Amino acid sequence: MRDLVLIAFLLAFIATGFRKPFLFVLCFCYIDIVAPQKLSYYLLNSIPVSLIVFLLAIVGWLAFDDKRDSRFSARQMLLVLLLGYCGLTTMSADFPVEAQEKWAWVWKALVWAIFLPLTLRTKLRIEALALVLLLSAASIAIAGGIKTAAGGGGYGSLQLLLDENYGLYEGSTMSTVAIAIIPLILWYRRHGTVFPPDWRVSLFCYALVFACLLLPVGTQARTGLVCIAVLSVLSLRAVRHRMLYIGGAALLALVAVPFLPESYTSRMETIRDHRADQSASTRVAVWAWTWDYAKDNPFGGGFEAYRQNEVRVEKAATDQGDGPTTYEEKSRAYHSSYFEMLGEQGYPGLALFLALHLSGLIGMERLRRRYAKTRRAEEGWIAPLATALQHGHVIYLVGSLFVGIAFQPFIYMMIALQIGLATYVRRREQQTSWRTPMRPARALA
Amino acid sequence: MRRAVIDNFSIALTHGLIALALWRLLARDDLDTEVSPRDAWQNQQDDLRDA
Repeated sequence: MRDLVLIAFLLAFIATGFRKPFLFVLCFCYIDIVAPQKLSYYLLNSIPVSLIVFLLAIVGWLAFDDKRDSRFSARQMLLVLLLGYCGLTTMSADFPVEAQEKWAWVWKALVWAIFLPLTLRTKLRIEALALVLLLSAASIAIAGGIKTAAGGGGYGSLQLLLDENYGLYEGSTMSTVAIAIIPLILWYRRHGTVFPPDWRVSLFCYALVFACLLLPVGTQARTGLVCIAVLSVLSLRAVRHRMLYIGGAALLALVAVPFLPESYTSRMETIRDHRADQSASTRVAVWAWTWDYAKDNPFGGGFEAYRQNEVRVEKAATDQGDGPTTYEEKSRAYHSSYFEMLGEQGYPGLALFLALHLSGLIGMERLRRRYAKTRRAEEGWIAPLATALQHGHVIYLVGSLFVGIAFQPFIYMMIALQIGLATYVRRREQQTSWRTPMRPARALA
Repeated sequence: MRRAVIDNFSIALTHGLIALALWRLLARDDLDTEVSPRDAWQNQQDDLRDA
């Protein structure tokens, strides 16, 4: 039954694209996040839907879309460079076969992020993309949130619709992404036009935020707690009544702690005393290995280079009376996007990665400041959206310290949304500049 | 059993909302073309002159 509904939904989604080709673009984003072909048991499984819609989206844009004011921004150039560089390291990878497997989905994520901003020509397109990203992620977050509330959590045991660790269905990744989209959900509540603000939109948005906050509890990913902490600090910039917000947040935290399962609180306590925790100790040892590896291989070892690591880990004594122990581990993943980039793509790859993300934060900050005090009603959505995307980005960057999600496609779609917003605003300024003298529009993206 | 119900609820709710959003997007002309403030002003002037 579920299969039939998903197939009917997908066919209808694709059919809308023939009326308005931009909807193919949204359809690919949906497929890339939700992976309906993996949720179904037959038929969809055997057709390369993702590839078909990918091609439809690109052909639809090439054939029918207005390309007069499509501009390539500096950040898209960074993405092109990163794509080319990753292609080179894949050719000379330490593990050619495994590297090819990762390259097979990484190139698609990067090409998509380069292409997506070209299609974001109107405000409604920007909003529609944000909406589809949110609702797609919501299909995973709502299921996870309800299961957590019903007591079905546990590290590595919360089932998020799908049993495999694919894309956002992986617990730590979803915990980070769920917290990173909260600012965007709150933006949509006030500035949406497809679903204009009313009590039903508010109810859904708040319920979704609650589900997103529950996910790190359900997956027991420590990263999630760190991300929530970052979110609560960042929100101070966005809220109007700061003291009220601090008081409310503190009260909420106090009330929430007794309801958290004991397994969760004891796992979170290992953040403080990480040297006595096996997973955290191994992680630090792998990072040290990566640091040394990069010294010998400054251009990186290609995708999956971590497979060659062999680390000796010294675990400190625990409070429970276990003495210090030493053990050996091998082929342990990076568990950090920065070390993932350093080990796999070397210093140039890490530099490109940092440039891509820092330029995004700076670009959004510029937009935020420029439009923060606008008096024009039609510009009221710009600064809050820039702020929401920037805050989500900071949360991702902090979460990335502990999760290897340097090439997570969802994040690249959020970056594409940032680039699209920046180029849209720049174009708009150029169109209006004859009327209102402003500072010359500089490259924002 | 309970897991399947939760999964189906989540899929039905979000996919229903995406479907509704697509339906509304199909009816919106500003998805593909947006009238810039300059053009809007020009159109207004033209209308005034014609009147």
